[in-house]
Amino acid sequence: MADTPEAIRKSIRTYMLVGAVLFAGTILTVMVATQPWLDVGVHGFDTMDCLLGLAIATTKATLVAAIFMHLNHEKKTIYWIFGGAFVFAFAMFGLIALAKSDPIHDPLFYSDSSPVVEKDASDS
Amino acid sequence: MEIPYIVTPRKDTGLFNSKIAIWLFLASEVMLFGGFFSAYVFLRIGADYPWPERALPVLPGLINTFILIGSSVTVVFAWASLKMRQWRRFQFFMSITVLCAVVFMGLKSVEYYVKLHHQALRLHDYTIIEGHLGYEMKDDEAVLDHHGDKIEENQIRIETTGLTFKTERYEKNWVEERINQAEHGSSEITLAADVKAVTKEGQPEEILAKAGEPLSLELLARIQKVHLAARAHNGSLRTAALRKEWKAAKDDSPGKRGWQIASGVSIDVDALAPKLLTEIGTIEFKVDPPARMDFRPRDIQEGETKSRLRDDTQVDGKMLASPMVFHNVDAIDFQFLAMKAVEKGQDPIAVIENSWLIKNHGFAKDAWEWNKTQVAKLEKELIKKHGVDKKTGLPKREPTATERYRVGWKDFVAKADGVERGEEKIALKEEFLGPDYAGREAKHTFPHLSVPREEIRFSSKFSPAWNTYYAIYFTITGLHGLHVIGGALVLAFYLFFGRKMYDTNPEWLANRVEIGGLFWHFVDLIWIFAFPIFYLM
Repeated sequence: MADTPEAIRKSIRTYMLVGAVLFAGTILTVMVATQPWLDVGVHGFDTMDCLLGLAIATTKATLVAAIFMHLNHEKKTIYWIFGGAFVFAFAMFGLIALAKSDPIHDPLFYSDSSPVVEKDASDS
Repeated sequence: MEIPYIVTPRKDTGLFNSKIAIWLFLASEVMLFGGFFSAYVFLRIGADYPWPERALPVLPGLINTFILIGSSVTVVFAWASLKMRQWRRFQFFMSITVLCAVVFMGLKSVEYYVKLHHQALRLHDYTIIEGHLGYEMKDDEAVLDHHGDKIEENQIRIETTGLTFKTERYEKNWVEERINQAEHGSSEITLAADVKAVTKEGQPEEILAKAGEPLSLELLARIQKVHLAARAHNGSLRTAALRKEWKAAKDDSPGKRGWQIASGVSIDVDALAPKLLTEIGTIEFKVDPPARMDFRPRDIQEGETKSRLRDDTQVDGKMLASPMVFHNVDAIDFQFLAMKAVEKGQDPIAVIENSWLIKNHGFAKDAWEWNKTQVAKLEKELIKKHGVDKKTGLPKREPTATERYRVGWKDFVAKADGVERGEEKIALKEEFLGPDYAGREAKHTFPHLSVPREEIRFSSKFSPAWNTYYAIYFTITGLHGLHVIGGALVLAFYLFFGRKMYDTNPEWLANRVEIGGLFWHFVDLIWIFAFPIFYLM
């Protein structure tokens, strides 16, 4: 890792560059969500917008973790500790899927109410 | 005691100990926030109401994102400065970092304040109305409650004929409010009957207070004291009697377990009765002549002739007209109503046009008609731009449910200014603090509305009580805010008290700042996800 004064001096430019990319990524996220000419998928918010927004956020988070938190050249111990935590975090997201095995079927759980409303409204 | 390996790395791990510690802590934080984000996903996909999309003002959120990213850059510069032994530069960058944290929390506080002062209301037909309530006024001045706060025009009014207090748990402030309100109506609250009690074992009943004695905290306290003493006395007698019976039962059945003899153990109530003192559970007062008393909706479970306060006080009397008065309506939302209509197989447009709000209030009808013209224009634009599906004949892209069924505050501005949706001019201050009601008064932008109590299904500020969206929003952003405060305090400590360590062991301070910086980057990392999820999706 860059912890000699010389190596750190060289890293300063990288830090500035990453900062600039993070700012640009934020602007891009907002534009994708608010500018009609950048709206992917259907008009308004939909799965595509969600995936795109989360993809940009994940890229930004990866940059912060890799460069600012120095995870791009860290010791293995740290990878195990931090990576291990994500296994549990993702498992919690996975638990949501268990709701599908609920014997009491709740149709509202599976349907996105907004498109249902839109579909009906367009018919009228 | 000196903690080992805080400056130089341990040979086996290759890391200094504090670094292992912070990463273990961050690992636990990943699981904590992971749990909350998964709760968000669960609540969103399981919501039985239209999930609010882009309900928060984007600009403050965007600025806060810039601030946190900027502070992430400056904290890494501060660490690099220490590594290069440049104290002044360290001070400069660390000061900016701490300042960023203060501005972030300032903006967050404004956002919370605006939300927690914004009223939302759901009618029985699922129409949602948003806006600001008026305040109770007297001689052109706002009436204040016992906290010194203004009283909103959202009170349950009862023509009160009687009050029955629970001796153990009456709320003193509310008792004083009742006395004040009775005085205001030139009424008196007096004891309905003599309060009699046996206060000493074996003695006859004595009169504690006579009928007609006026309500006062002193009177209630006096009766409460007697009641609590009687309860303690009776309790100890009952316990002693039970112990005696239990011992006798055990002696009669040696070798048997407690559960085998328990059913046969009981107290001789008749023998105990002469020794008991009088417990006075409730104290009844009459209000003469009946006085109008106002109660906050959250404090009362209202009924037609009998209501009950949260402290179990019973209020006798007929409920009067108790409307909720919006000084300014700034949004009407039919998304929930439309969703319910679709679920029932009804035409949402027809249901909306027959709703209580549209039928009874011209402004709502005007706003709805205006919205329909805007939706029609948007539909045409979308067809022109994206065309029609050849197979189905339907437009490839259609307006969203929000565009179809919600007239938001910016739409009210556009309507009042006579421009198309999206072309309204919004002041920068309004982007942060919400609509400028007073400034837009001249154009009657935000109408007045009085909603009868019987039409109200549920009302709340935009607090966690309103819906699960605001519950998870306040949970995640509140927890994140606490992390910002904690991180800023640690970094400020290095900034203001780090000089001595810098002079004696600069590498140690650099390591400390690295640890603080790692936490700060993590806080930034959480916000990188929280911002699009809450503000843009």
